[in-house]
Amino acid sequence: MSPKWPKAFVRHLIAFTLTVALLQALPALAAENSFINSIQQRGYLKVGLPPYNTPPAYYIDKKTEKLQGYDVELARELAGKLGVDLQFDRESKSFNSLVKRVGADDFDLAIGKLGLTYNRLFDAFPVQYLSFRHALLADRKFISSLGVDPEDNGFGDALKTSNIRIGSIENSTWETEAKVNFPNCTFVGYKNWEDAQKALLTVDPKTKISAIDAIYRDATEIKPIVYKDPDLSLKYVPVLFDDIIDRKSIYLSEKGYIGFSDFLDVFIRREWGEVKSDERILNEYQAYYQPVS
Amino acid sequence: MQTPQDSMTFLDRVFSILPALRKPRNFFFYILPFSIVFGRVIPTQLASGLNDVGLAMVQLIAFPAIPLVLSAVMISIANIFSEDNRSAQRRLRFSSRFVISLTLTILLASLLALLLSIYQAPGVLSPDGKLSIGRFMLDTTDIRVGGDVAASSISSDFWITKIVPSNILADASAGQTLRVISGSVLAGLAMSRLNPGLTQPLLSLLRSVNTTSVQVLSIVLNLAPLVLICLISGAVSTINAEIVVALLNFTICVFLTAIASLGISRLVFRRFTSTRERATTDANPVDSVFLLSLSTGSSMTAYPLMFETLKGMGRDESEVEASASLSLLIARLGNVTYNVIAIVFALNLYDVGLTPVRFLEVIFLGAFTGISAAGLTGVATVPTIAVALSYFQVPIPPVLVLLLAIDPILTLPRAATTGVLAMAISVISSAKSSNSELSDVSSSSSLGLLSQQSDVASLEGG
Repeated sequence: MSPKWPKAFVRHLIAFTLTVALLQALPALAAENSFINSIQQRGYLKVGLPPYNTPPAYYIDKKTEKLQGYDVELARELAGKLGVDLQFDRESKSFNSLVKRVGADDFDLAIGKLGLTYNRLFDAFPVQYLSFRHALLADRKFISSLGVDPEDNGFGDALKTSNIRIGSIENSTWETEAKVNFPNCTFVGYKNWEDAQKALLTVDPKTKISAIDAIYRDATEIKPIVYKDPDLSLKYVPVLFDDIIDRKSIYLSEKGYIGFSDFLDVFIRREWGEVKSDERILNEYQAYYQPVS
Repeated sequence: MQTPQDSMTFLDRVFSILPALRKPRNFFFYILPFSIVFGRVIPTQLASGLNDVGLAMVQLIAFPAIPLVLSAVMISIANIFSEDNRSAQRRLRFSSRFVISLTLTILLASLLALLLSIYQAPGVLSPDGKLSIGRFMLDTTDIRVGGDVAASSISSDFWITKIVPSNILADASAGQTLRVISGSVLAGLAMSRLNPGLTQPLLSLLRSVNTTSVQVLSIVLNLAPLVLICLISGAVSTINAEIVVALLNFTICVFLTAIASLGISRLVFRRFTSTRERATTDANPVDSVFLLSLSTGSSMTAYPLMFETLKGMGRDESEVEASASLSLLIARLGNVTYNVIAIVFALNLYDVGLTPVRFLEVIFLGAFTGISAAGLTGVATVPTIAVALSYFQVPIPPVLVLLLAIDPILTLPRAATTGVLAMAISVISSAKSSNSELSDVSSSSSLGLLSQQSDVASLEGG
């Protein structure tokens, strides 16, 4: 014969069990995105930034000696949305090492006009926020020597298959891209962008030729060179590749991609204003890109 | 309140003023200053409208050119090469004088332009000039790869196909002037070998076409002052003054060539005409041709004046007609000299060394590309230089952008150069009409009909 439980006791027991179950469930809801939670618990967003100065994307302002630029602003706004402070890590040796480090969870995300390459996809996970056309600043004489009218449909192929000597920053995405997009080119790597520009614009007084025929980067890096020094337009011409787009991305680790990519997507759509083209960036930062009166 | 009669009077006045304004003197003293001031005060939006109106009127003025050329060339060639009209010796004399004078004038004009270019160094720019040009070219000469690229504007047709006629009426309606000329020459030669009885109806038709075309040209030329006001005001309002200053050497060089061509043409006129012939003209006709071409920006408008002047001096009408129309349309000496200067400008700009061999190449390519501009007018003639730039491996787009930027100004001296040097060729190659031949020719020549046009004579203006 089974013992008879008082009805009131049974009712209280059920209510107690349900309350305990509900109380157990609440903390589980709060910890659903462990990646964001860990950032919030830490109290600051840790952002990896390249060791270079690339205005107006990221650079140390000479007057205030503080980091500024649209990439820096984006990171600040992200931290604001998370309700945490912001800390930059600029210890990486190169763009590629920066991506490797974010993949190894050295920081929460890596930003800084980072291009998209197969090699970087081995190391980390990208979320696109900029769409920049690849561009060359080429010596007009080299372009003429191709013997194809730049308005002709065959010009693109003639240029891409030529023996052009291309310069850019060594160990950057541009080295990889140059070898892929210009299979017959000779790539010359320089320590920084200024050195690459100098190599193109300096003509040997004896041979009357430059060390390279063109420098290679995205349109927002190429166009400002002629904006800042318009008389260069006579001898050098920006070549903009509408068919080769650099999908500038914010890189995340695997854990970060699972926990943070949706947050980033929403942020880019709502706050950043969709993926921005190079033309939009050139317009928005006209004061920087076109200081010519 | 204005009554209909008042408005009629007003319109009558306007239409009576227009022919008077067509005189070159009035162009310099009234139209040019008014247009410049007007261009400076009007808003830029209005300028593009004015420019469109001006171009529409230019198209109207150019419309009688093709039938005029077609009829003039066919009639004159038929007359010159008809065995009934003149001796073989006279035909040979005209042909050889025309070909030699045409060739020599092209070479001399090229050489003159080259010498002036070497002296003036049109493409050697000051740092400020380079900066102005650089600013002007920002964004406009970028090369886009992989997008929706427009087809090349430079025709890849073999050059000889531009000369060989296909269907003379189709060529005429398509504005293929070189084909029309070559077709007319061939047709004229064929007519000269046929029995006059067979060709007479066609000759009568061509004479009517010619007379009507001259009359149409005379009427539409009344619009020339309005065309100039619209075009110059539009150009002054929109043209980049900074570029004009930066390319001042080039501009001066083109104007100097026009003035030097005027001097050469005056010398030729003096050397190849007798005192009696010169006594038939009140003013120097070369000056009038120069001013008329300069003021209208079209050398073809000087054709009736050249024709009437030389005919009035007693030159053989058919020879004048043939030499004037062919030299105006084929030689395009203004374009030849302009292209030589433009090539030197481009070579200077890109620090290409100038050697004696290169000078010869410049002369040859300037002449070749200039002649290939036959049938083209205004800015459309500028891209013909691309062939020469391509040969020297000089960047084409920036040079064309710069040349096109100042072309509204340089169209005028270019037309004036073509006009005066064509006049020189006509003076050299046409001979006095012999009475015996004239009696035969006058009955069949188109010139007899042209001379009936009192309005044509008034084109001389000043």
